[in-house]
Amino acid sequence: MISIYICDDEEAVRHQVKTALEWKIFMENYDMEVVCAAAARELLDTLKDNRRNIYFLDVDLNEEEWDGFTLGQELRRRDPHGTLIYITGYGDLAWKTFQYHLEAFDYIVKDGEQTGLFAARCLEAVHARLQDECRDPAEVFSLRAGDETRHISLADILFFETSPKPHHVFLHTADSRLDFVGSLNELEARLGERFIRVHRAYLAAWDKIEAIDWKRNKIRVGGRECLLSRTGKAALKKRVGESL
Amino acid sequence: MPALNVFLYMFADLLTGHAIFAVYLFIIMDEHGRNRLKKLPVLLLSPLTVSCIAPAFCTDIPDNSILHYCLYSCMILLMCTLWVQWAWRFGFWQAFAAACMAGIFQVAVSSLCQVLSLKLSVPLLQCSQFAVVSAVYFAVVLSTSVLLYRLRFGTWFRLLLMDEGNQRRTALLLFALEAAMETFLLLQSGVRSDYLAQYYFLTLVMAALMTGLVIHLAQRFEAARQLEAQQDTIARQQLYEQDLEAIRQEVRRFRHDYKNLLAGLSQAAANGELDQLRASLSELDAGFDRRIGEKIQVSVQIGNLLIPQVRSLLLTKLAAMGEKGIDCRIEVLYPIKKTGIDVWDFVRCLGILLDNAAEGALETETPWVEILLLAQEEGLSLRVSNPYTGTIDPDKIWKESFSTKGKGRGLGLPSYQRILSEYPNAASSTVWTEGVFVQELAIRGGRL
Repeated sequence: MISIYICDDEEAVRHQVKTALEWKIFMENYDMEVVCAAAARELLDTLKDNRRNIYFLDVDLNEEEWDGFTLGQELRRRDPHGTLIYITGYGDLAWKTFQYHLEAFDYIVKDGEQTGLFAARCLEAVHARLQDECRDPAEVFSLRAGDETRHISLADILFFETSPKPHHVFLHTADSRLDFVGSLNELEARLGERFIRVHRAYLAAWDKIEAIDWKRNKIRVGGRECLLSRTGKAALKKRVGESL
Repeated sequence: MPALNVFLYMFADLLTGHAIFAVYLFIIMDEHGRNRLKKLPVLLLSPLTVSCIAPAFCTDIPDNSILHYCLYSCMILLMCTLWVQWAWRFGFWQAFAAACMAGIFQVAVSSLCQVLSLKLSVPLLQCSQFAVVSAVYFAVVLSTSVLLYRLRFGTWFRLLLMDEGNQRRTALLLFALEAAMETFLLLQSGVRSDYLAQYYFLTLVMAALMTGLVIHLAQRFEAARQLEAQQDTIARQQLYEQDLEAIRQEVRRFRHDYKNLLAGLSQAAANGELDQLRASLSELDAGFDRRIGEKIQVSVQIGNLLIPQVRSLLLTKLAAMGEKGIDCRIEVLYPIKKTGIDVWDFVRCLGILLDNAAEGALETETPWVEILLLAQEEGLSLRVSNPYTGTIDPDKIWKESFSTKGKGRGLGLPSYQRILSEYPNAASSTVWTEGVFVQELAIRGGRL
């Protein structure tokens, strides 16, 4: 059972959204339930089941302590995999910021009687996505970049490389290079067998290694080149021997 | 073994000189980190090479001590410049200027102290005389270092080095001053004991004047830069005001119309035409929103940027991109008061990212650029994204002088990285997926 929380200062909007969602759940027979429709403080107090809930939040909360963004951050902290949907009075919301920094799913614009309908449509989309996600629970690697935590699927990582900046590490995937604070030694210990240290400055994904150039001291990992050291060679040879 | 003695004597002499040179160099470069200290041992190569080569010269060239002296000094200066260039990753002229500046102080101190050892006619044992001279040496170095530090000389000097247009001129001027100081050092052998006080005074005044000159130049450069920034800000602020004016006009027009609209609406309400009422209401809302919503969006977001330099740059770039037909979107959710790194460095980074984004976006059919700035307690995050065409070679985009557009371009990302390499609290990530290229910069906390 997935819990749905609604947060808006206006009782009328809360009621409207709640009714529309409950009707939708009943009609489609979703395994969901509207647990709470309240102001921010009350919502945080009643929030007990912290896993994969759905939240409908007003952007312009008239509260001193919280605005839509900070409430979203607090909820992300408590429920990293929940779904956030924003309700806004205007179309000129800084939506992309919400999308990137909170991984907000969607937003609906308050539009009189239509609001409930929009909320119900949104719930349908969330339901479809949750169905998809259930099929592939991927293992993720979490890293802190600045003020937020990012999740990268372990299967996407090609290799880690030390950055020229002390204590910084680059994570390479096929379509990104992410910079974060860390050390290869610590990563090597944490990630275990899936990765292999091929060089002082490189930690490569074992299943992404495509070719080994023993002479030029290089390996190809997912189409990219990494350096190979003498100890790296020994480790590789040992691992190749084991896997044969 | 006279040769070995000559070598050892010279090496010891040069070593002290280099040590003092290094002390002053760190002071004038306003260096706080420990990383550069690790590179210090390499500087040992300089006294080592010179003291090895020097005896060879003495035999080849007829005995001319001044010519010898000039040769050694130039060699030492060159090697120190190369070291500075390597340790700070500077350009040649910047490194040369820094080496000359540190050289000036080092030579001044040497002339003050060596003259003591030459002219001190107090009948002391040689050993205690050496101790006295070293103590004076040490005290002078320490006190001048503290004084320079207190004067914030390093900050000013760094600023002067950043003046990209005049690097060569600054370096040559400092070289001339250095040469003058060296001449003073040579003069000491001709000073009579009774003129010692005057010599001392003159050297001190020279050093103080040179320090003052450098600070003055730096201040003038800073003033010019501020003036330029202000003029730019004023020019851009006018654009911003034009937008506000357009919004004001629109609101006035709306105010003029709304009475008529309301009259029509109440008529419809009186007649009970609910559908028509609803239709006109939503039309009214949509029309107003569309006409000024976009302008309000940009104005409100820009208004949240409270750092004039950053705002000025952003307005400039937004205007330029608008002219080229790039659709820009900017979001600044919370007011931004500080950048966490040096403001000018942040401006340079932002400029590079925006130029790159515009360049990439223009190659696509519907060019757009999106800028997100988010200030939070933990720090500042910047995200610039744009669409691109073609393929991206991840092994190459961060290398010098690589660009998909051929020579002379694409200097952006490497210099962006070079600027950020000074800041351990900054992390920059790059993502290219589904035709969108994204640069992210996360700055934690901040020392400014």
